[in-house]
Amino acid sequence: MTADPAENRLVHSWRATELALPGVAVAPRVEPRIARPAALRFPIDVPRPVVTRVGLFDTRPAVQSFHFQSPAAQPPAAPRRMEPPADSAVTSLHGLPPEGLEAEADAGPSASTPKRTRIAPPADVVKLSERFFYLLQPDLETILETSSLEFPRQPFPFQFDGMAFLMPRHGAVLADEMGLGKSMQAISSIRLLVRSGQARRVLVVCPKGLVSNWTRELADWAPEILVAVIEGDQQRRRWQWSLTDVPVKVANYEALVRDRDLIAELGLSFDLMVLDEAQRIKNRSSQTSEAVRSVPRRRSWALTGTPVENSSDDLVGVFEFIAPGHLHERMSPKAMGAAAADHVLRRTKDKVLKDMPPRLNRDERIELSPEQRETYRRAEEEGVLRLSELGQEATIQNVFELVLRLKQICNFDTFTGESAKLDCLEADLEEIHASGKKALVFSQWVETLGRLRGRLSRFGALEYHGGMSTTARDETIRQFKQEKKHSVLLLSYGAGAVGLNLQFSQYVFLFDRWWNPAVEDQAINRAHRIGAVGAVTVTRFLSANTIEERIDEVLRRKRDLSDTILSQAEAPAASGLTQDDLFALFKLAPPRSAAPIRAAA
Amino acid sequence: MEQKSAEAAGGAVAGPKAYGFLTAVESGTHGVFGGYLLVDPWGRPLEFHCTAPVKVSRAQQILFGSTLQSHLHGQQIGGTLLGEGTVTPEVVLTDLEPMMHVRSHTKLPVALIRGASSGSPAATFGSAVGTGSFTIGNASVSPHVTDAARGDDLRERLEELAAAVDLCEPFERIRAAIDEAQRR
Repeated sequence: MTADPAENRLVHSWRATELALPGVAVAPRVEPRIARPAALRFPIDVPRPVVTRVGLFDTRPAVQSFHFQSPAAQPPAAPRRMEPPADSAVTSLHGLPPEGLEAEADAGPSASTPKRTRIAPPADVVKLSERFFYLLQPDLETILETSSLEFPRQPFPFQFDGMAFLMPRHGAVLADEMGLGKSMQAISSIRLLVRSGQARRVLVVCPKGLVSNWTRELADWAPEILVAVIEGDQQRRRWQWSLTDVPVKVANYEALVRDRDLIAELGLSFDLMVLDEAQRIKNRSSQTSEAVRSVPRRRSWALTGTPVENSSDDLVGVFEFIAPGHLHERMSPKAMGAAAADHVLRRTKDKVLKDMPPRLNRDERIELSPEQRETYRRAEEEGVLRLSELGQEATIQNVFELVLRLKQICNFDTFTGESAKLDCLEADLEEIHASGKKALVFSQWVETLGRLRGRLSRFGALEYHGGMSTTARDETIRQFKQEKKHSVLLLSYGAGAVGLNLQFSQYVFLFDRWWNPAVEDQAINRAHRIGAVGAVTVTRFLSANTIEERIDEVLRRKRDLSDTILSQAEAPAASGLTQDDLFALFKLAPPRSAAPIRAAA
Repeated sequence: MEQKSAEAAGGAVAGPKAYGFLTAVESGTHGVFGGYLLVDPWGRPLEFHCTAPVKVSRAQQILFGSTLQSHLHGQQIGGTLLGEGTVTPEVVLTDLEPMMHVRSHTKLPVALIRGASSGSPAATFGSAVGTGSFTIGNASVSPHVTDAARGDDLRERLEELAAAVDLCEPFERIRAAIDEAQRR
């Protein structure tokens, strides 16, 4: 056996060898017969043994290395643990920590182990180094504790999950049910991105009526971040857009549309753009959608409690902002749900706040007064007759006009001013007012609010609607919150259904019904949200045997659509208020092919 | 054995304070992956190094006998990973006892971390774990036998980090990263 150093292997060879036996010395006189040869030789082929060499870890394993940049902002020397403040609305419900917090913590490996929220990389982050960047970060609670960030109150565990969802995503839809703190989650995420240097220019776009809400929430949840509100004349707005040392700018949708060219002219781009009430851009061909999508940006987040209001197309419209081309109208609800899954986070109160005060729904079926009934009957008969006469010439506008007229009669008799609903409402408010509690009353019409205010003045009724200036509206909210004499706030769906935090109200009345259940939910959730101090009773007035009952049936069918897409289930048969639906309210055949009616939303 | 890092060369790289977390994950399919995470005093990642899987043959198991794990973890994986670090940590922490043998290949103090509730491993004859264990936060820290006399020094070095993170927690991150690497 020899070693061949050149080939670093063993060479086995077969070589003949000999077996020699020693001979015996014999004396000369000894019989020569017994003489033997000196040695016996037997040639034998002896094979060399096979030797296997075992490698003893003679090479080091390959190593992949990743280096991460330290954040620009350095945390303080002494990290601080967040404690829920004693006066927090959330913690003061029963003098106990937030129930949701406890429930989540109990779900962990040990009841004594506080919940730790990991920032998981999104599915569309492909590079291993980028995925490691997120996976190797400390949990979110630790990041916050070591970053000297103070919060007005301890966020709920599901809100940490929301931040962990938003932070790593370039395109995200936070679609939590109203009242779960979408803006707070977005602001906290913005704050972390700004603090870590990942975002230096952030644009928040919201409805005009919510601008002051956003500035207030930004001041609460990110007090150290400078904020500029885009408002005023063009010269002023130009200056505001040009500010380079203000990390967060807040603009309303109308201002953004108006300043679209200005933004392009100034060459502005943003590290992050956040749309509040993002259902505003569901119609892709609208000016608002086009203006929003024209803004150069790196990250796009959409906040909406109703990503699907009428049809699955609504979600496609929102996705054109956060991830263009990712969804398209031809997808089935199930396929759309699957495609959207990694970009959309939706939680409902019943899932994340199991111990939140309950929402008690009460459908108040009201019989019209005899005079009201007669007025209603005549109006319907005349209206239907007119539509029948129009035949194929009848338009959706004709039908709408009739529906609106009948709904108004359900509120107030146009001749006598009688209102069975108001009689009922008054009776309820007597009790509410006497117990020192607060109620919200929603109506579709500002005119109705005015009439209600007249009759409900003894309850200190206040109005809140789009016809008021922002300052007047803010003052109304302040009065309603702070002054005991105001037991009732009368709101229009248009202005009052979004963005307001009125969780100190225990009663909500839907004096008339909106066209879309999602908007009704938004209205209800002004009161039934985090911080609610007790059960919220929701009363929906329905005039018996009227158009209101028929609309309610349609709304009930529509209510399932959003859940269908977001839960990736099959679509229900009816998914929106169509021309068919509207004509069917009067047992009329639609003139042409049925299509969803966007205007109704 | 070539050591690339500054610490191995006996020098110290000036820079932010860092702490090393060293562990390995065994995969039935691939073998043993090593991971080494360097974090700053607030637990944020500075560097991460991971090895390709090392598969142990039956012959190696027989020939190394009881020394296999210490050789595999301490020298092959641990020694290699520590050689890749570009910053010098205050201390190298591991949650695997065989990994303590990396101390033979580095000048850095090495300590074994356990959840405080699971107690400190006993210092036995031939064990790499020395006396002088202490508890800090939720973790029990047992210095390598070589560093047994430096308990107070190690405690002082770890206090800042332990105020920010649970010392057992970064190992979860390493395991999550290795798991991710296997799936990619």
